[in-house]
Amino acid sequence: MKHTIRQVFRSGKFLLGFIIFLALLLITIFYPLIIKDAPLAIIGRGTFFPPGIYVNVYDSIGSPQYTLMLDDAAANRIASKLSNDDRLAMRDWLVADGIPENQIDINNTKALLDQWENNYDPKKQVEGMTLAKQRYYLRLNTSLQGLLSTEGAIIAANNPQSGALEESDSVAQTDYVNIKEVPNVRVLPLGTDNFGRDVLTELVSALATSLKIGFVAGTVATLIGLVLGLLAGYVGGLMDDIIMFFTNLFTVIPGFVLLILISFSIGQEHRGAFTIAVVIGFTSWVWTTRAVRAQVISLRNRDHVNLSKLSGHSVVHIIVADILPYIASYVVMAFILQISFGILAEAGLSILGLGPKTTEVPTLGLMMKWAMIYQAQILGKWWAYLPVVVTIALITFSMNLMNTGLDQVFNPELRD
Amino acid sequence: MKGYRRYFLNKALWFVVTLVCAFILNFILPRLMPGDPVAAIVTRMAVGMSNATGVQAIYQQYTELFGTNRPMLQQFFIYVNNVFHGDFGFSFSQYPREVADVIKSAIWWTICLQFPAIIVGWLIGNTLGALAAYLKKGFDKVLMPVSILVSNFPAFGMAVILMVVFGVTLKWFPASGGYGFDRIPDFSWQFIWSVIVHYQLPFWSIVLVAIGGQAIGMRSMAIYELNADYVKYSRFMGIKDRKIIGYVFRNAMLPQVTGLALSIGTMVAGALVAEIIFSYPGLGYTMLTAVMGGDYPLISATTLIITLMVLIAMFLLDIIYGFIDPRIKATQLD
Amino acid sequence: MSNVTLEVRELTTKYITRFRENVYAVDHVSLKVEEGKSLGISGESGCGKSTLALSLMGYYFAPLHYTSGEIIIDGRNITGMDPDDIRKSILGTEISYIPQSAMNALNPTQKVIHFIEDVFQAHDPCKTKKEIHEFAKEAFEALGLPAEVLQRYPVELSGGMKQRTVIAVSVVLSPRVLIADEPSSALDVTSQKMVIKMLKSLMENCIIKSMIFITHELPLLYNVTDDIMVMYAGQIVEKATAKEAVFDPLHPYARGLMGSIIVPESGLRDVKLAAIPGVPPNLKNPPAGCQFSERCKYVQPECMVRSIDLREVGAGRAYRCIFSEEQLREAYKNG
Repeated sequence: MKHTIRQVFRSGKFLLGFIIFLALLLITIFYPLIIKDAPLAIIGRGTFFPPGIYVNVYDSIGSPQYTLMLDDAAANRIASKLSNDDRLAMRDWLVADGIPENQIDINNTKALLDQWENNYDPKKQVEGMTLAKQRYYLRLNTSLQGLLSTEGAIIAANNPQSGALEESDSVAQTDYVNIKEVPNVRVLPLGTDNFGRDVLTELVSALATSLKIGFVAGTVATLIGLVLGLLAGYVGGLMDDIIMFFTNLFTVIPGFVLLILISFSIGQEHRGAFTIAVVIGFTSWVWTTRAVRAQVISLRNRDHVNLSKLSGHSVVHIIVADILPYIASYVVMAFILQISFGILAEAGLSILGLGPKTTEVPTLGLMMKWAMIYQAQILGKWWAYLPVVVTIALITFSMNLMNTGLDQVFNPELRD
Repeated sequence: MKGYRRYFLNKALWFVVTLVCAFILNFILPRLMPGDPVAAIVTRMAVGMSNATGVQAIYQQYTELFGTNRPMLQQFFIYVNNVFHGDFGFSFSQYPREVADVIKSAIWWTICLQFPAIIVGWLIGNTLGALAAYLKKGFDKVLMPVSILVSNFPAFGMAVILMVVFGVTLKWFPASGGYGFDRIPDFSWQFIWSVIVHYQLPFWSIVLVAIGGQAIGMRSMAIYELNADYVKYSRFMGIKDRKIIGYVFRNAMLPQVTGLALSIGTMVAGALVAEIIFSYPGLGYTMLTAVMGGDYPLISATTLIITLMVLIAMFLLDIIYGFIDPRIKATQLD
Repeated sequence: MSNVTLEVRELTTKYITRFRENVYAVDHVSLKVEEGKSLGISGESGCGKSTLALSLMGYYFAPLHYTSGEIIIDGRNITGMDPDDIRKSILGTEISYIPQSAMNALNPTQKVIHFIEDVFQAHDPCKTKKEIHEFAKEAFEALGLPAEVLQRYPVELSGGMKQRTVIAVSVVLSPRVLIADEPSSALDVTSQKMVIKMLKSLMENCIIKSMIFITHELPLLYNVTDDIMVMYAGQIVEKATAKEAVFDPLHPYARGLMGSIIVPESGLRDVKLAAIPGVPPNLKNPPAGCQFSERCKYVQPECMVRSIDLREVGAGRAYRCIFSEEQLREAYKNG
């Protein structure tokens, strides 16, 4: 046994899978200790904030300001307002207005802006220009006002007594604040989802829930599979026929169909995470039963079993002492597969809308579902679904890697 | 052919029995909910409906259809009878469309997508797995990790990735729908082309995941067979390696066919979710809208149809297996 | 002097393990089999019998590697022959090998006759299918197997029938030497008898010229083969005629083996079963000196120092021990 364990941990594949899995597990344990926010708390008003560091603007005005003279500051500022596409559009307009193309240099910002200012007239009709395009130029023009100015901004607040707007502070273009001195800074490495929740925190919590669901589902399925397989394989006869009948039945009637029917029938109110896990377990034991039964059948005529029988040991004793140790490897592998399957099944159910209630805990599938409903993928808000997909893939990948590693340890001919 | 009779009968009998059980389950499970199912359903969905007469009509029609006031057994037979006449009742979420109508328009999309996808994936996957087992070294070392990685993507994961990479970022293929939004279904060349283009991403997401799974399985089977005694003996008798490989693959193939039959339920499940991701107008999407609309008749009918499809596929596979495994015929003749 | 069908000189082959260790499973083995004669090879599990058989065919597949020595079949030196040539002209046509547990040697999804067709195809493509069918039918019937076996799949045949079928298939190209590796070990006694009978008839009807019979069951060899060779840890420890090897073995190991057999004739009560204590050496780290020294009753300090050569005693008789014949017989007399 010890030797087997040592061999198992020497297998590269198993080790890799195990490490990944352990890393995920540790994240779910330690992250909530560091970041204590509730995973389902809505912190953003509005949908799909992109990932980044969010600095409170109000506080940054009040924070100590430092003057930094940086060469590229002006260029950066202009570039963020005037993209290359915008420059090309300006040139197109100027050309259409009659200015020869060789007089336009889109890279000389000042000259370009001068030309623009001198020539642009919103009332000028350009042939073939759509209304949308006209409005675009209008907006562009407005945003270009004061682009080259070097004046800062003025902050005004209402005088509490007179009610008039008075200047309270001014911000120069060279004023910088140190993020560390701004009291309210929030890092959102994965932005927010469609409700405005912090995706990363939600993800970690969802991971924990999904792992739990997978674990419960896996345990239930493996236990059922183990018991049925043992009974069918060892006792044989009529018991075997009955169990095999049900197994075949449940093979043919797709498990997920049953899953859908049962989940729907239970109704939204009763669908807690745990309930769903148990239901998944109850519909996915088929493969394990079959595998265990096959193993037991090949074992039951072995000499050591016959010896036990001759010695008068009870059926239970034989099963526990003589058969279980030999199928242990299969059971472990089956268990890992069932966990992975359970997580995927929950994800699938949630995408369909039949998963656990959305109000208590997030699960990976639920996050996917919401992202899809709000069309995150089409809108390009990758942070709402891609991390979820990657996480799911990592979990199943690490589990299957462990499984393959175990398989190679137990079946030497599969080793490369 | 005579030798197969027993085998066929056996499988056909099994088919019928499972069909009956499927009907029963489809019937019983929702009815296990306490309370008047019709009232509960109607009140639930009536929240979205403003048409009072519509709600009344559904309630009455449904009660009659189900005969919820009659004994369970009678209800069951009414249900079966209706199904056989193709009458699944009205769809709640798409009233006044009939459920049968909704399914009819969706089912062909699903069959034409999944059926070829699973077959293609199976073929390619098995070939790759067999090659890996035979060639070993380089090819194997590359194929194995790739297969493990790919097979572990749930079908919808692969769907999402393909969609993001090819649909949104590279814009090579459309990311949703079965055909262009601006097209009306007809037999024009543009429509057919549009269908083909929209077909690509869902198709390939199913195929790729299938390949991954099959390749690993086939590789194990092939390795197992390659170490079999008859391989060594054939070598001892001087038979060329190429011929021996032919033996091995034929033998390794057989359990793969059985494996396909066993796993087709899961594969279809995964493919359905992939359909949803792409808003592909198949049964997956139908199921989604049905669930979101609390449309019980549609859900029930869809699950029944899906079960039927899987059943038929397994039955066909069993028959095919009977033909390709010569031992089946031989042992029947005793 | 009759023709020598198979001659092997100082053949050494090794296995290279995953950790690049060399295991010399066949260590400087020499033997000679004459036409019309059969040689039995005996020894415990793991002593190198099957490896020797594989090596004899020139059939080297990783991790088995040829190291040194020569193999001559009917005057033809096949050492170092191109593997493709070996496949075409040696395997099946000059030497045939019946593997252990031959019952699994047949492709489960192939009819026997189709396999025979393939065998012919690989060696003698000129024969038509009809000719092959005719030939196979005659051959099988001559060997006591019903012709309908040809049309069967292996799953439809019993264990004993499968074994005999494999034997028949192995000699379908009339090889000069037939190597039978434990042909009867997995069978019940009646089937065993049929198999032995079949093998003997192969020799009598000159379908094969010589036979090598590998088994760990010594009593069999006495009834089947002319000469016997005992192997231990990859080396030959005794070579003698069947009678000599069974009734008058010289090497302590061979003697120990004979002493551990129940011979019904002598009455069960009188014979004491003598087991040989200990286990064979690990060939990864073979002991210096005699391989058997750790278990030998008569071991001397000298035995563990230098490697021992085969000692020839008379025509074709040899044994590997530092003691002379007289010394051994003296030691045996005293128990």
